[in-house]
Amino acid sequence: MFAVNSETEANPTPGGATPETSRAQIETRDLHLHYGPVHVLKGISFDISRHTVTALIGPSGCGKSSYIRCLNRMNDFIGGTRVEGQILIEGADICGPGVDVIDLRRRVGMVFQKPNPFPMSVYDNVAYGPRLFGEKNRDVLDGIVRKSLEAAALWDEVRDRLPASGTGLSGGQQQRLCIARAIATAPDILLMDEPTSALDPMSTARIEELVRDLRRSFTVVIVTHNMQQAARIADRTAFFLLGELVEYDDTLKIFTSPDDKRTEDYITGRFG
Amino acid sequence: MAETGTRKQLEADMSDLKRMVLRLGMMSGDALSRAVRALEKGDASPARAVIDGDDELDDLTERIGEGCMAFTARHQPLGQDLRTVVSIIHIATDLERVGDYGVNISRTVLGLEDRPLLKPLIDIPRMAELLLEMLNRALVAFDVGDAETARKLFIMDEQIDALEKQVLRELITMVLERTERLEQAFMLLNVARTLERAGDHLTNIAERVVYMYTGKMARASDYKTPRGRQ
Repeated sequence: MFAVNSETEANPTPGGATPETSRAQIETRDLHLHYGPVHVLKGISFDISRHTVTALIGPSGCGKSSYIRCLNRMNDFIGGTRVEGQILIEGADICGPGVDVIDLRRRVGMVFQKPNPFPMSVYDNVAYGPRLFGEKNRDVLDGIVRKSLEAAALWDEVRDRLPASGTGLSGGQQQRLCIARAIATAPDILLMDEPTSALDPMSTARIEELVRDLRRSFTVVIVTHNMQQAARIADRTAFFLLGELVEYDDTLKIFTSPDDKRTEDYITGRFG
Repeated sequence: MAETGTRKQLEADMSDLKRMVLRLGMMSGDALSRAVRALEKGDASPARAVIDGDDELDDLTERIGEGCMAFTARHQPLGQDLRTVVSIIHIATDLERVGDYGVNISRTVLGLEDRPLLKPLIDIPRMAELLLEMLNRALVAFDVGDAETARKLFIMDEQIDALEKQVLRELITMVLERTERLEQAFMLLNVARTLERAGDHLTNIAERVVYMYTGKMARASDYKTPRGRQ
């Protein structure tokens, strides 16, 4: 059931370039996560291919957010966390002690549920990451800011107000600013934890459209409670329940004829 | 795991949709069997009643379509619920078509204008009887979720096809004996062809029912006897 999504199924990268290897970009092997005495993830194993959108669905507390927080070691901030098993990104284990976590977080960006722009200008929000990684050249920074805002479909709306505060933008614009900020460090993978749950339907539609576009340049892993959203934007969908990965398959399959009865019961609203 | 209120509402709405489909099925079957009986007996009045009743059938089909749209808008169904509501749209169209065939045959009856038939009908009423049996089984399978019964329809449809061929053979022989029989032979052949198509629509319904309840596409051709072995 947990077949590797072959690269031929994934969307081609811009210009038709083929990925360097046929190996999955994110390989999760028997991952267990404990928060103190609580066993949060119980033996998760699956592969995520490059340039795909993968949706993680499941009822609250099923472990989907905990899982994506493993992908950029965000759980390190929580005391008493213990991780067993492996997550290989581009073949290298990211769970071990010798990992450069700062570099990992540059390569694996994250967008949160509530838009959280820094209390600084639109420009500085986007330039923050590149500056942190040592970029000082103003022309280079200008280029990165513009490119990132364009990729986040926000440039046209803010090009004349780059010095204005990021917190003055609308909710949907703020979330796109956060996406631009995440993109600015040129990550390979974008994690999104319910990025539209605090937004109105129009802003949600813009973000969804954006996610589909972002797939050309990034691998997107998105947690969502909205199953229609998963059906609209994801290539593959993983259903988590009580810390286990119940089913992982093509999105269409998951939402029309899943193999596991628990998946069927969840998507048809019998629980959750 | 306790069912939610939303789930209960969904099931109540689904049950309403299914009831409408069952009613449409009964009306279509009734139209078909009354038409064939009218042909058999050369009786124009039930044929007229079938033609007059067609509007009711069309209205019900339309209501099912609207009901499916409302259901989809209200519940945004997934999984088996989604398969069911999409299948219902298709099944209703197939059932309506079966009813239309009853109307077509009824028009043929009126076209006979009290002229006697070439011969007493044998195979055409058998086809109609078999179709009704298929329809009943299809509706039961649809209602209770019995994919196995639905699959049995694939075999029954083969018998319909065989009977149609039998009618053709017989009519050719009769026309070869006396060419003035040609017009009525064409007409009867047309009826047999119509019934054969009704069998195809019922087979479509059976395929849909299998998909609804199993999530797997069933093709009738996979179950039929290969050509040359019949």
